[in-house]
Amino acid sequence: MSTDDRVAGIGSAGKGRGRPAATPAERSLDWLNLFVGNIQTGFGPFIAVYLTTQGWTETSIGLALSLGTVAAMASQIPAGALVDAIRGKAWVVLLSILAFSISALLFAVQPAPLAVYVAEILHSFSSCTLGPAIAAISLAVAGPSVLGLRFGRNARFAAIGNGIGAVLMGACGYYVSERAVFFLTAALTLPALVPLLPLARLDYSPPAAGAPQAEHASPLRALGDRRLLIFACCVLLFTLGNAAMLPLIGNTLTKTVGSEASLVIAACIVVPQLIVALASPAIGRLAEARGRRIVLLLGFLTLPIRGLVFAAAASPVPLVLVQALDGIAGASLGVMVPLVTSDVAGRSGHYNLALGFVGFAIGIGATASTTVAGWIGDRLGQPVAFASLAVFGLAATLLVLSAMPETKPPHPRPGAMAPRRRRSE
Amino acid sequence: MIPLTRFRRKALPLAAVLALASVTGSGRAASGDAASSSGRAAQSGSAVASGGNSAPPTAVTKPPAQAVTKPAVTKPSPPTPANLEALPASAYTGILGKKIIGPDGKELGLVVDVVVDAQGGPHAAVIDFGGFLGVGSRKIAVDWRLLKLTPGAPDWKISLNISRDEIQGAPEFKPDAASGQMVGPPPQGPPSHDVDR
Repeated sequence: MSTDDRVAGIGSAGKGRGRPAATPAERSLDWLNLFVGNIQTGFGPFIAVYLTTQGWTETSIGLALSLGTVAAMASQIPAGALVDAIRGKAWVVLLSILAFSISALLFAVQPAPLAVYVAEILHSFSSCTLGPAIAAISLAVAGPSVLGLRFGRNARFAAIGNGIGAVLMGACGYYVSERAVFFLTAALTLPALVPLLPLARLDYSPPAAGAPQAEHASPLRALGDRRLLIFACCVLLFTLGNAAMLPLIGNTLTKTVGSEASLVIAACIVVPQLIVALASPAIGRLAEARGRRIVLLLGFLTLPIRGLVFAAAASPVPLVLVQALDGIAGASLGVMVPLVTSDVAGRSGHYNLALGFVGFAIGIGATASTTVAGWIGDRLGQPVAFASLAVFGLAATLLVLSAMPETKPPHPRPGAMAPRRRRSE
Repeated sequence: MIPLTRFRRKALPLAAVLALASVTGSGRAASGDAASSSGRAAQSGSAVASGGNSAPPTAVTKPPAQAVTKPAVTKPSPPTPANLEALPASAYTGILGKKIIGPDGKELGLVVDVVVDAQGGPHAAVIDFGGFLGVGSRKIAVDWRLLKLTPGAPDWKISLNISRDEIQGAPEFKPDAASGQMVGPPPQGPPSHDVDR
């Protein structure tokens, strides 16, 4: 498979710069991220198109999608707590991926209301367990000292998977049928299970257990950490400005660009993923070398720039170029969310709970974003909507600048720094 | 103008609650029934309620709450209406979700709604077009008379003799807006001037 070869090539290029070669566990984690990124694509806005072809009304589609959103919001924090409680993180990943397969098959085989509702809820819940479980595995594979680099690799491979998934599924929907996209999604879940085998043998006891000073706190105290609360506010504000940006650009492009609008929109989706794939390892290194604040500022600052350019520009070429900046923000957020959360709660025994909490904040921002942008766009026009999203992005940047403390551990802690290796081998 | 979906709006949340209640409340057997009976019902939104509410033709025991007013007898299946008329597929078709073919033979979009007038006759088709994997599509109302329907099996061919470039600039159709606009026939002046009523 030519894509696999290319991906492997990118992977080996990324681990250069004088660091030790990737262990088998690290390689497995790369592949896992790639395949999981691959299967996420089909579950997005495409569900609306598919259900429309099945004769669903706008209203019932809206209901099904809202159900999925509500289920995702409701399960973020409980799912995090659940992942904390389960020792075998690889099993959580396995079950989550299988739930993805079932969900995709339900969509493909029987797009009747009940099946669709069940599929939406199943997918929502399992995506809430999947992300934290992969982050927890990364913690065990990498060890705290090189965690930024590990999350950089995670984001790179997830982005490669995302980009490939978007191209594959776009082509599948165009040349085969809408229904085939969900069969393809279900089929793509199977290779995601393969890299799990070596990861199942890892030791997932909480890092604090091996460290001299165990910081076991109550769940509420872990969530009440001031740094975590500020960080959650920052990502909420950022997502509030960011989530509606792509749909809004797509809508503008469909209106202004001719028959090639779909291609330009595809470029707006795939190009940022390429940038994420290229930039994430550097972002991870930057976070380990210069701290988290600078990376957050760098990523967040791209949002007001995009918003202002989109408010002013109309032709597709600058749109796609500036949309590429989304990749910088995506890489920054993709690395910072698990990394800052790990700085704050990684040793508390409530890492996944805290991740669920941050995911909840992101979910609120994303849901509110499209509503707010749509409302403003209807009344005041698209440029004002873009400008408003830019203001949210600026507010997020200013919040990081004024309130977000540096969470990077000041100096290597003797007990906690040794990379944790597998029990066997 | 009254979009068809508006009639279903009230019934649907209820239907969803009932459908979900049948999963959580009455166990796997009941949910299996609901899934199979609502499989056909997917075509029309209001019929979704049959998944969890009205009894399938076969006998189903009612929850105890129902027994307060009525004696606990299994309901006989409703009689077939005497005034049934045939709807041969060669002469009639449902239109929601059908693909619209543009003048270049390529797919233009999907019919997502039908706008009717006070007599109930179709006045405009709402077409969802453009986008990639569902991102960036727009809904535009097009004069019903511009649609060309060609009966066929299994699906009818529905074509529109206006190119994408001619309709893409039209304002987005909003079902809740007080007034909207649709793309009218080309010869009668600029398309945006042809305001619905």
